Amino acid sequence: MTPAVTAQKPCTAAYSCGPVRLELTYDDPFLREALHGLLNQYDAPWPAPAASVQVTVESGTPPPKAAEPAGTYLRSHHLGVDRQGSRLLSFSRLGVWMELVPTSARARVMVPAHPDWPALVEDIEQQLVLLLVRAWAQQGWTPLHAGTLVPTGETRCVLLCAPSGAGKTTLVVALLRRGWRTLGDDKTLLRMEGNGVVARAVAHRFHLHPSSSRWFPEAGDLAVWPRYSRWTDKRVMHIEKVWPNRLLDRAIPAAVVKLERNPGGPALVVEPLDQIHTLNTLLRQVAIPSDAEHARPLVSCIAATAAHLRGVLIKIGNDAFANPLTAECLDGELRRMLP
Amino acid sequence: MHSQTDNRRWMLRPDVVSTVLNDGAVILDLRSKFFFSVNPTGWAIAQMFETGATRAEVHGACRKWGAADAGLPEIDALIDQMIAEGLVESVNTPAAAAGGVTVAAWVSPSLSKHREPLQRIMVSAFDPGLPLAE
Repeated sequence: MTPAVTAQKPCTAAYSCGPVRLELTYDDPFLREALHGLLNQYDAPWPAPAASVQVTVESGTPPPKAAEPAGTYLRSHHLGVDRQGSRLLSFSRLGVWMELVPTSARARVMVPAHPDWPALVEDIEQQLVLLLVRAWAQQGWTPLHAGTLVPTGETRCVLLCAPSGAGKTTLVVALLRRGWRTLGDDKTLLRMEGNGVVARAVAHRFHLHPSSSRWFPEAGDLAVWPRYSRWTDKRVMHIEKVWPNRLLDRAIPAAVVKLERNPGGPALVVEPLDQIHTLNTLLRQVAIPSDAEHARPLVSCIAATAAHLRGVLIKIGNDAFANPLTAECLDGELRRMLP
Repeated sequence: MHSQTDNRRWMLRPDVVSTVLNDGAVILDLRSKFFFSVNPTGWAIAQMFETGATRAEVHGACRKWGAADAGLPEIDALIDQMIAEGLVESVNTPAAAAGGVTVAAWVSPSLSKHREPLQRIMVSAFDPGLPLAE
């Protein structure tokens, strides 16, 4: 349902999202409220943001001469994105249009009227995610869709790579309970620094399925936490409230796990990965645009990361965490990856 | 394509990016989203195509790197594979000096295509996974 919109004064909001500060101006206060959940999730502390991006979010249709992008730069489920010179033009399936000019750190989002308000908000969110990803990349950071685990007393981390729904968060939580720490469950930024690569936290909130309560009873009823999106039952959870002192801001990647579900198979299978499969695993966790200038630094960062990592494939069977031995075995396997 | 009849100059397509590994390199075709592993000698040859090279120029460089004449068909096979995969395109640019490529020890060059391409359509600009049906 679309909230009733009346003429409003422009309102503003600002969010520090890792190394980037977004300064937004809205002509519709409902949009400010609707987007708060997305933008507020980038809650990992950083030093003062290195860059600011000015974003205007306006109700209305795209400029008359704005052609619908074909997706030659990037195509996602919601967006088609083209690059035109220094600009990125992005158009969503519901008609949300964005022009991003990274060189001038400005973006303009046009939001058409649409009867499906939640879907419209989701399309705007996707535009802002694109904006953030490009802004982070401009600051030299490669966004990696991966969780992280750091053993007690260590500064090195294991990167957990898997598609959404494959169990990254569950594995992270299973080891947090054993004293491990984390930068986050599925969002990490990587950057080459000196001769190595550093990983930084950008979002500390976890997205955990309520059914995981059966393995982690101390978490209580996870269903009471707010829902992550209308497409998933996962809940947005502050893990510090259940497992305190587990969050870190920074670590050095030293190992990577390619995580797979293994329905019908044994509870735990561990197989080594060679360097090329380690690289393959990492590349599949980065949204690489079809634009060589923008893709090259991301690929270089991932290759530099893979060069330093030990890799394993871990397959986890159904309901494996019902047996405490699974977490104990994983603890041992992951520690062996960080000699 | 026989090397005697192919005088064209070949260059990596602009939307092909490569990155060095400890042992060779990876070449990513941003158009098809397929990626390829090349061994060190394959990578040395691929680097010649960054500035553009003919088969004869590649043969000459490979001889300097230690390839025997009997190994030229393997070199042509790699070039043919790069052409067939669309990694290189013929260009009309003049010869350019290839920059200081070295090969420690000559072995037969190889280019291996990875079976699964990267996702062409993603969940989001952050999550490159396959979108699930809603």
